[in-house]
Amino acid sequence: MWRSQAAYRVMLLLGTIALAGCATYSDSFGVIERNLSARQYDAALQDIEKQSDSKTGRTLYLLNKGMVLRMKRDFAASNQALELAKSEMEHLYAASVSENALSFIVNDATVSYAGDDYEQVLVHLYMALNYLELGQPNDARVEALQVDIKLREIGEKIPESKFTEDALSRYLTGMIYEELGEWSDAMIAYRKAYEAYKKYQVNYDMPMPDMLKLDLLRLAQRQGLKDELARYRKEFGIEPLRPGNHKPEQEGELVFVLNNGLAPIKREKVVGTWGPATSIVVDTSKSRKTEAPPPPVLYNIALPYYESRPNKVLGARISVSGKQVSTQMLEDIDAIAKVSLDSRMPAITARSIARAVAKGAIQQTVDRVGRGSDNDAAELISFFLVRVAAIATERADTRSWLTLPANVHLARLSLPPGSYTVAVDFLGKGNQVIATQEFPDVVISNKRKTYLSHHWISN
Amino acid sequence: MDWTKAKNGLTLWMVAAMVMAATGCSTAVTRMDAAEVKDLSGAWNDTDSQQVSEEMIKDVLDRPWFGEFSRSQGRPPAVIVGEVRNLSHEHINVNTFVADMERALINSGKVQFVASSTERQEVREERKDQDLNASEATRKPMGQEKGADFMLKGTINTIIDAEGKTQLRFYQVDLTLISMADNRKVWVGQKKIKKLVERSNLRF
Repeated sequence: MWRSQAAYRVMLLLGTIALAGCATYSDSFGVIERNLSARQYDAALQDIEKQSDSKTGRTLYLLNKGMVLRMKRDFAASNQALELAKSEMEHLYAASVSENALSFIVNDATVSYAGDDYEQVLVHLYMALNYLELGQPNDARVEALQVDIKLREIGEKIPESKFTEDALSRYLTGMIYEELGEWSDAMIAYRKAYEAYKKYQVNYDMPMPDMLKLDLLRLAQRQGLKDELARYRKEFGIEPLRPGNHKPEQEGELVFVLNNGLAPIKREKVVGTWGPATSIVVDTSKSRKTEAPPPPVLYNIALPYYESRPNKVLGARISVSGKQVSTQMLEDIDAIAKVSLDSRMPAITARSIARAVAKGAIQQTVDRVGRGSDNDAAELISFFLVRVAAIATERADTRSWLTLPANVHLARLSLPPGSYTVAVDFLGKGNQVIATQEFPDVVISNKRKTYLSHHWISN
Repeated sequence: MDWTKAKNGLTLWMVAAMVMAATGCSTAVTRMDAAEVKDLSGAWNDTDSQQVSEEMIKDVLDRPWFGEFSRSQGRPPAVIVGEVRNLSHEHINVNTFVADMERALINSGKVQFVASSTERQEVREERKDQDLNASEATRKPMGQEKGADFMLKGTINTIIDAEGKTQLRFYQVDLTLISMADNRKVWVGQKKIKKLVERSNLRF
């Protein structure tokens, strides 16, 4: 019966080539990325809109839409999209029975995407930034409180998870409270940011930002927390800034947020292997005596991995009316995403192996039916089809929030009230200027923080 | 195996599935009474807003501040709505219950309301325009605005306690009436709402 094993292999090869056209989620993102780096936000939005009726990818559609709208500086519309994404995530908190059943025989991408933990936190962060750029700190405060609830939920669900604190969200929360004059809440938020950055140092090799050190010193001093102040002084080896000749009560502050590059993208690696048919399906009592050994079974496993996206910009320097300040990295989303996937990998791999075994069993069942037909052609076709189906359906789940930046930088600068032109130099290796952009008419108000953000995407 | 039976069974299932799929196609609208209670997500909703305004209105008109003021001044007090700060974890629209309170207080005839600062700006612009364009007889002079005697301010706070899929949401609305003349708090209203929200673990 197995005269032409080689012919099977050739057909299988042809089938594999034909199916290479089946793209995973991340493959379809190339066009959008090109439009974003060319700052063609409307064209990118049009492409994103094509995913609007995707049933399992609705969260991602809304997240990407919200992110591109904020690149376009349409913060109100961005918040609408992100708010919808939040309620979609909330809806997906309940695991779907049908989707999970399907994922057991097809692949992980049949399950609606609710967002990774870090993505569920960052949606609040970007909504808060939107509100801050709209000049609504009270609404940003609402988002800050929601971050707190979300982080508590994650910490409780997976206590051993490395992402139980989001340092940048905590830090931004502190700045929001400080602007609203809620000093003790601001102090608590800065303390939490401090704890989070200590973890970041271990998990993502990221140093504690200097601006947080100064904030901690300033607030500890303001609140009269002498012991804590002494501890920070000793630990950081710096002194709180003396008010000196500049009077902070008559100044405003510019907070420049650089969303740098794009978050890493998930790719797929496929491991396929021919294995002998197992005895679990073959029923020996009914087998014909003259029969050849059962045909081999194809076990195919597709797993995701993260690939960083290239970006020449490593930081930025802002200049406003003679004053200059460099940005500091406050969040390394690239590293966070990779660590998060690493921690999920054992579960993903286990599911893939279970699926491969299930698909192997299906192949054997079909083979058995085909052999019963006494028709070589039918047998060949069924053998071929069921294996092609096994390859075609085994795809890695490469979904992730791709319009997030790879990392987030911040710079803060005290300025007297007035209207300014902010010049931003985007710096590469060795502080070499890669590009410069000017933001005119940035208004600084007394005792207020003015937030200005830019998303840099290399082409 | 009886194939015809199985086939019939299959057809029946397919029809059922199609019917179920089709019912999801059209938007269904059901009119509801505004007083009917319907909780969907557990977030702050119209019912909460109505409960707060009802409670506050009942309370504010029963208290002695009102009698004391009208006795000593011989006229009803004029109130202005200040900021009601949302310190909760939700984006709550406070305007609905503030408007409810305003309406109830004005309609009671016991309290006068003065336009809020944003409303005043618009009225002033209109008055400026009248100065230029309206006839002498209908023109309203500037500097004749009525100053408020009391300012209504408040906060909405929440405390969230969560464990797994269960969440306890506690809302507290505090409203204060502050005398403009001497910063005295003449009335403090409070309404607490507690909700237990259980999230489902499974869906189909």
